[in-house]
Amino acid sequence: MELRAKAIVEGFWKGIHQSPYHGFSVEFTEYRQYAFGDDPRYIDWRVYARSDRFYIKKFQDETNLRCHLLVDHSRSMGYGSGPYTKSQYAGTLAATLAYFLFTQGDAVGLATFDDRIRQYMPPRNRPSYLRRLMLTLEARPQGGATDLGPPLQHLAQMVTKRGLVVLISDLLTSIDRLETDLAYLCAGGHDVVVFEVLDPAELDFEFDSPAWFDDMESGRDMYVDPSTVQRDYRNSLTDHLSRVKAICRRLGVDYHLFATDRPFDLALLDFLQHRMQRRRRIRRRHGPRTGGTG
Amino acid sequence: MSFLYPLFLAGIAAVGLPILLHMIRRHTRRRVAFSSLMFLRTTVPRFKNRKRLEHLPLLILRCLAVALLACAFSRPFFSRPPVEGRIRVGRRIVLLVDTSASMRRASLWAQAIRQAQAILNDAKSMDRVCVMTFDRDVRTLTGFDQWEVMNPGRRASTALRGLSECSPSWAGTDLGHALIVAAEAIEEDEANDVQRPIGSRQVVLIGDMQKGTDLGALAAYEWPAGMDVAVKAIPCVGRTNAAPQWVANRTPWSASDQAHPGGIRITNSSDASTEHFQVTWADDGSAGRPQQTQAVYVPPGQGTVLGVPAEVEPSSIRKVVLTGDDHDFDNTLYMAPEAPRQVNILYLGADDPNDTDDMLYYVRQAFDADHDAASRVSCHRGNETLTGEALDRAHFVIVTDVIDSAGLASLRQYLESGRTALLVMKSAEAAATLSGLTGIDLPKCEEAEVDRYAMLGRMELAHPLLMPFSDPRFGNFTRVHIWKYRRANVTDYPGAQVLAWFDSNDPAWFEVAVGKGTLLVWTCGWHPADSDLALSSKFVPLLHSALEYGGRRVRSKSQYAVGDVVPVSAWTTSGVDALTIRKPDDSVVHLDAAQQTFTQTDFPGIYTVTSSAGSDVFAVNLSPRECLTDPMPIENLESLGISLKSPSHLAGEGFRQATQRVGPAEMESQQKLWRWVIVTTLVLLLIEIWLGGRLTGPRPVPEG
Repeated sequence: MELRAKAIVEGFWKGIHQSPYHGFSVEFTEYRQYAFGDDPRYIDWRVYARSDRFYIKKFQDETNLRCHLLVDHSRSMGYGSGPYTKSQYAGTLAATLAYFLFTQGDAVGLATFDDRIRQYMPPRNRPSYLRRLMLTLEARPQGGATDLGPPLQHLAQMVTKRGLVVLISDLLTSIDRLETDLAYLCAGGHDVVVFEVLDPAELDFEFDSPAWFDDMESGRDMYVDPSTVQRDYRNSLTDHLSRVKAICRRLGVDYHLFATDRPFDLALLDFLQHRMQRRRRIRRRHGPRTGGTG
Repeated sequence: MSFLYPLFLAGIAAVGLPILLHMIRRHTRRRVAFSSLMFLRTTVPRFKNRKRLEHLPLLILRCLAVALLACAFSRPFFSRPPVEGRIRVGRRIVLLVDTSASMRRASLWAQAIRQAQAILNDAKSMDRVCVMTFDRDVRTLTGFDQWEVMNPGRRASTALRGLSECSPSWAGTDLGHALIVAAEAIEEDEANDVQRPIGSRQVVLIGDMQKGTDLGALAAYEWPAGMDVAVKAIPCVGRTNAAPQWVANRTPWSASDQAHPGGIRITNSSDASTEHFQVTWADDGSAGRPQQTQAVYVPPGQGTVLGVPAEVEPSSIRKVVLTGDDHDFDNTLYMAPEAPRQVNILYLGADDPNDTDDMLYYVRQAFDADHDAASRVSCHRGNETLTGEALDRAHFVIVTDVIDSAGLASLRQYLESGRTALLVMKSAEAAATLSGLTGIDLPKCEEAEVDRYAMLGRMELAHPLLMPFSDPRFGNFTRVHIWKYRRANVTDYPGAQVLAWFDSNDPAWFEVAVGKGTLLVWTCGWHPADSDLALSSKFVPLLHSALEYGGRRVRSKSQYAVGDVVPVSAWTTSGVDALTIRKPDDSVVHLDAAQQTFTQTDFPGIYTVTSSAGSDVFAVNLSPRECLTDPMPIENLESLGISLKSPSHLAGEGFRQATQRVGPAEMESQQKLWRWVIVTTLVLLLIEIWLGGRLTGPRPVPEG
């Protein structure tokens, strides 16, 4: 997984990368009068010299980006009609992003979920931590059915510092509460990106003969003649995807659909180009900011 | 073609099953795993109605397989015209060759081999032969199955080679046991090989058929009907055979006068031609005196008893050699003196040895009365200091009095070293002695209230102490009356095992393990104040059994016959880890402490036992019966129910009159066509699998 991520990142590195290091800086916020119990190390002696008052400096540390990769490990992610299952594709995608961000000096964390968060690794920026993260991503999906609500709410409660939250899932579940749950994260100041990973067979439903279809998550089976239901399936899926896109658009969430037959580097390139265009749009709207990569 | 079970042909009707399966309507069973069915709706399955047969070759193959299977179950065979006249059937022959010590005479063994060769050469290819040798035990040289797998042309020579490698042993002859083993071998072979038509069943016995042959086992055996015994008795050239024999319960070291008759008997065969013999008393050479030779006159069929000449030191005699007869295999009698072992019994109590009201008086009567004076009872009074030296000398300790703490400590050490002691609770105060010896307080001990008298009730007769009384003839203790005893509650006493109970269910005798040793506890004494046990016939055996349970015997046997099992417990006393036994041929056998017996008494001679406690000897001789070489009347076997046939009758056997046609079961059993039908069915099924794979094509790769 690590080698695959490294190869993908280094493949397009030369073309688009400008400078991954933006340096560590602190942002001064305010002075506050010293009160008993405050750490005397933070007393600003210059102010004291000036005003004969004890004041302490308050800083808001502006560190590099803190990214949370929220990867779906439900059973439906184990589906794959081609060489990759959705889980492998999502894992590689997450690993690629993690490696990419690590090389920029950003901290990356990981949360795997199905109907709740199964494993959580807080954001860190250490090479050994990256290896652990890769090993977690390599694990086969062992979870149950997908339910986006509890994991997103849980993450919104756990992660108080703003950062980038990347949700990688097939989103093959009810999305009635998706807007609300994503809104929790957005309200926390997080920059949320949704990667929906689908198999080409799921997108096209091009099966040749009737068969009993077993639901990988619920175990339910259904006799389906693809020639009969293909049109309805595509319509339903398109409708579902449109609803997801609309929700993301309303919340200002970046949404990307990845088919597992699309090469990783191209998919990542699409994503980064989209991010850069969006960043330029924001800069034009609000003017330049210092620090951070976002 | 005929069928043994034609009813199974009805199974051919099952041919319709594959046709039906081909015609049946069916729909797909293909299953596809899919990530989510949330966008799918179910479709009504469309069934496929197959109105015409597809894959006709497959159908034919399946129908054929079913039909052949039914055919195989019906056991087909080809009928043959009936064969009239005599047909050959196989015989089952057990060749029993005597290898007892008496076969060492002259050329008996060579003649036996020749006789066996004639029998084996006469065996036909359909016969099944088993070759056994016997003396005291039976050994199978060539089994029925081994004979069957041999090359028919080499069976006789191979079996004869195995027989030629044998030689007569020194053991006695147990012909009864050997005949039973032979008969059972034939019956077992018949049971294992039911397919083979039963021909005649014969036991061919080759031996000297001596008078000393043991036929006792046949008395309790019902000889199988239709099993014949052909006896090939081998005559011996020389008829005179005299032999010295040990006379049990008579010491050979006493002088041969009228008052003390000696212990060596010289016997002569009934058909002997010689009456005068010489007997040589050979000693161990320690005295350096010349060997003494004595002339003996023994009429044919009679015997005489000899004592040791006055010139010979009795304890140094190691063998008695007789000369003057025709056969010397039984002319040497080996002798080992019964060295009485000193047994020291320490009696701890203040009893008067001459007072019949005290227990010591009866102990002395039980042990000191031994005529060899091998046991010695020493008394230690309670007010004297019990020394470790006195305990070390003691082989068995009897405690009847309360002893002081120093004595308790010494005695406990004695027990922990692996010895045995007997504690007799003369009073309830003896519980303190028990607690001191075991280190555990007895919860409750008191004088029992006895209504008139108590008796012994339940007894653990399987326990070594009471084993001598396990025979119903000796196990009656109801004549022993107990007037007084102590009630000891040992139910929860750690390590206590009750050996006998009173009829009131109180423990009478029990044992407690103390370290490596054992403490036997009797809750009543044998003196008249407590019971009349001392006056019972059980008393002396009981005390000797207790002594033996402690690992010591007053007298031990020193004369054995070849093949006897020698108990080695007499030499494995405490502290002896291993024994070394040197056999007469100077080979050495090592026995560890766990081995209780020595079984390698293969030939006569003096066997020397060496242990860390010293050395001892025992003698092994020929079985006295083996020296009785007079011919045995063959009618003795008939009187035991054995069907005898003359050896000349053997050649005519092996044929059976076929007065009726060979039965279908026999023909089917010979042809076994069903096996080929099954093989054909399997081949058809393999072709069907291969063809099925070809016609239906490779299975599609599952989508998912």
